[in-house]
Amino acid sequence: MIQQLLGFLSYYIPEVMLVVLMTSLLVAEASVKDEHGNRDKIYAYALGFLGLTLIPLFQNSGKAPVHVFFNAVTIDQFSTLVKIIMVIGTMGSILLSRTSKDIYTNLKSEFVILAVGVLIGGMLLASANNMLTMYLGIEILSILSYVMATLKRDESTSAEAGLKYILYGGLTAGIALFGMSHIYGALGSIQFVDVVDKVGSLQGIQLYIVMASFVLFFAGLGYKISAFPFHMWSPDVYQGAPIPVTTFFSIVPKLAGIAALIRVSMVFFTNNTILMNSWVGLILVVAAMTMTVGNVTAIGQNSVKRMLAFSSIGHVGLMILGVAVLNEAGIRAIIFYGIVYMFMTFCAFYITSYLNDQYGTDNYDVFRGLIYKNPLMALIMVGTLLSLAGIPPFSGFVAKFNIFNIVIEKKYYGIAIVAAINSVISLYYYVRLAKVIIFGKADSNEEVVGFTRFNQTVILALFVPVVLLGIFWDKVFTLAGSAAIFIK
Amino acid sequence: MNGILNWILWMPIIGMVAVLLVPKAKENVIRFVTLASTTITLILSIVLYMNFDNSTADMQFVVKIPWIESFHINYYLGLDGITMLMTFLNALLFFICTLSSWTVEKNLKAYFALLLMLQSTVFGVFFSLDFFLFYVYWEVMLIPMFFLIGIWGGENREYAAVKFFLYTFFGSIFMLVGIVALYYATGKGPDSFSILAHQGGKFVNETVSIFGNEISFEKLFFWFMFLGFAIKVPVFPFHTWLPHAHVQAPTAVSVILAGVLLKMGTYGFLRIAFPIFPAAAVEYSTLIAVLGLISVIYGAFCAMAQDDVKKLIAYSSVSHMGFVMLGISAMTTQGVSGAVLQMFNHGTSTAMMFLLIGIIYERSHHRWIVKPDGSLGYGGLSTKLPKFTTVFIIGMFASMGLPGLSGFISEALIFLGIYQRFTTITVIAVVGLLLGAAYLLWMFKRMFFGPVNPECEEYEDMNAREIFYMIPLCICVIVFGIFPSPLLNVMKASVGQLVDLLAKF
Repeated sequence: MIQQLLGFLSYYIPEVMLVVLMTSLLVAEASVKDEHGNRDKIYAYALGFLGLTLIPLFQNSGKAPVHVFFNAVTIDQFSTLVKIIMVIGTMGSILLSRTSKDIYTNLKSEFVILAVGVLIGGMLLASANNMLTMYLGIEILSILSYVMATLKRDESTSAEAGLKYILYGGLTAGIALFGMSHIYGALGSIQFVDVVDKVGSLQGIQLYIVMASFVLFFAGLGYKISAFPFHMWSPDVYQGAPIPVTTFFSIVPKLAGIAALIRVSMVFFTNNTILMNSWVGLILVVAAMTMTVGNVTAIGQNSVKRMLAFSSIGHVGLMILGVAVLNEAGIRAIIFYGIVYMFMTFCAFYITSYLNDQYGTDNYDVFRGLIYKNPLMALIMVGTLLSLAGIPPFSGFVAKFNIFNIVIEKKYYGIAIVAAINSVISLYYYVRLAKVIIFGKADSNEEVVGFTRFNQTVILALFVPVVLLGIFWDKVFTLAGSAAIFIK
Repeated sequence: MNGILNWILWMPIIGMVAVLLVPKAKENVIRFVTLASTTITLILSIVLYMNFDNSTADMQFVVKIPWIESFHINYYLGLDGITMLMTFLNALLFFICTLSSWTVEKNLKAYFALLLMLQSTVFGVFFSLDFFLFYVYWEVMLIPMFFLIGIWGGENREYAAVKFFLYTFFGSIFMLVGIVALYYATGKGPDSFSILAHQGGKFVNETVSIFGNEISFEKLFFWFMFLGFAIKVPVFPFHTWLPHAHVQAPTAVSVILAGVLLKMGTYGFLRIAFPIFPAAAVEYSTLIAVLGLISVIYGAFCAMAQDDVKKLIAYSSVSHMGFVMLGISAMTTQGVSGAVLQMFNHGTSTAMMFLLIGIIYERSHHRWIVKPDGSLGYGGLSTKLPKFTTVFIIGMFASMGLPGLSGFISEALIFLGIYQRFTTITVIAVVGLLLGAAYLLWMFKRMFFGPVNPECEEYEDMNAREIFYMIPLCICVIVFGIFPSPLLNVMKASVGQLVDLLAKF
């Protein structure tokens, strides 16, 4: 028994390491004197440790998939890749928070500790192999996220964000749990390994029960990834939270949610044609609505952070098309999209965060004439915006191209056209910002101060993948293509 | 010789990098580096013409390197007769634009870097034989254009730049859907992104189902491609971006826009939409001809109504590109040859017109034929600026289609071609020629004849640099007006192949 558990643990080293990291960070935070130098040491320690967890993760990558902990958790190539992206995403957000006034100057190391905690939840969610683990993952992820949303303690918007988040989260988690209990009632098992067989033999009324309860279950995940109609919280939360938190939110929990959504979709809907068809129909409508609502609402925004929040809803709409096709190509497209989107988000928020700290607001006006104040910053921001809009040669185009690919391969031309029109809408508001940056006349011509060599290096390092993955994407794409989901 | 396309394609990028490395203050170095780059490209394209084999319709100087192997995407370049003309035109116009941009003051370094980037992407569109590569170049081209219009344009430049960007992107995103659909329709094989491999009407019998309705694959995606290219041409009713972009763009960018970028649209029809979906093209050719006809007449009437001389030429472009659409919708050898020739000749004559307007604008700082208050903006220029007037007359008559100058040959060929298919349309289209003569001559009368406007007293005539860069265009316009066979021979085989293909459907 003990040996068996230790055997399981050997697959679970990254998560264990993260738990150790989180605990040690807590202890260090409580015991080390809060001086400037020490804070940097804690940051360096956390980043280094997160980097170390990549080693066992890369070791797991390519291994034969297994179920561990008595089928509660699965370690397959898909979950491993998602975890790698999430760890890199967390590292990036921590790096970003190092330059943020809200996080680094006004707080101690709370952000780092919470981020690592959310990461643990996300990892659990990505490799959850029964409904209980999945629920556990969602809750770990959510509860820590609520705290993160309120990190700007003195501001009422941050408090509002946290409250909104917690109310929405609590409600949808409850609905999801309700749905799960029905699924358990109908199928008699919470293990995905059993569910996948039982779904195939469902008949008559049972089908409707499972479908209806799955829709309830979807509420829990749909809320995490802010899919329509569970997206209302995200702009307020994104705007209220400090920018590193926003960055973190639009990468780690979202990716974990989508990963879980793919897994349950593959489990529940590949073995039963009737269920599959109704699910695909539902998810296509959800995707179309998510895209359209996100993009159309983003047009009218004056705060860049809020615009990016709405645009991230639009991107989620595209990503869940990868769920709708229910095949390997869809998974590959999502993984690739995730990688690309992560780097684009870093670049966009890094600059927004910097300007926000500098001028105290993230309105479009702050960006006016940025090209004259800081050409490097401006060019990278414009490149990122074009990439987000899906203009080649930037990687955002390749990500979008892959989504078009999988959708058209399945011959869903209708949704392809919706996605095409949405691309044009999204281009409008991205270009609107690019226009302000390049063509605008700044009120003053003074340079943006303090964008140090360190910052320049970081932003360049983050921007390089945005360009390179748009031109030489074969390797990464093949890696994403290896992400298979192991069900049984 | 095989790598020459690579050199032509990447020479502007090499120039761009060189420009970026020069310190900002050394403006003359930047100018000469750009000039060197465009000169080398022009020489290379002449070398290319020398080595071009007229007898075959096959792609020449082919370069094929695997790029994205999981999708069988290749870096696949090639050149046929139609492309050859466009390549030469592109190289020539950018060379001239470098000279005409000599006086740009604002942020010279970025301007020339973007101009060179634009040249490379235009070459890329014409050379690409891989759909993915084609699309990438088609879209990347928008980025330098967006900045060139938006930064160096006129008063309303931001609006024009955004409108141009959005409009073109709207068309091309539908093209992307079509490209991906073609990829899957041909079974994801090694040639699935090759433009040539799709040609020949392979999709005539395929159907797609949209919301339960069975629709012909060919017809549906013909329209997707049509949208992408028609916006670029622009064909009525997709032309509304063009006047804004043209009027706001700086002179050199207007020249490039009218000279080569619009041709990318008609080139798309000739290379992609027609050969890949021939049955749909033949079926809808009447509709295309009617749209072309509307462009001709409507463009001409709009041009006649303009008080802004640049806007007038912009609308005349709509009208002239309508002739190109008429020519290709004829689907006969004369018609398509005429269309391709018109693509080249419109490139040179409109470039002349825009350059001349740029020259006079540098002196007067306005472009009004009739000012908003009703008084004439110019007047009597012919007595004050004899050299300018001479060149202007050549450009204007070429644009009008006067026999002996280049515009005449191509328009005559188009009419010859289209008369065999659409008699009524031909008769109406001839009115377009008449209208063309009317608006150009009327403009000429108001600007060049009559009493000398006091404001024009101080204007200087064209200087040596301006004369120097107008000369190649004048030569093109006159020589190819009398002796068009060098151009016609080059494209003969390629045009013949396309016409033969369309005749089967």
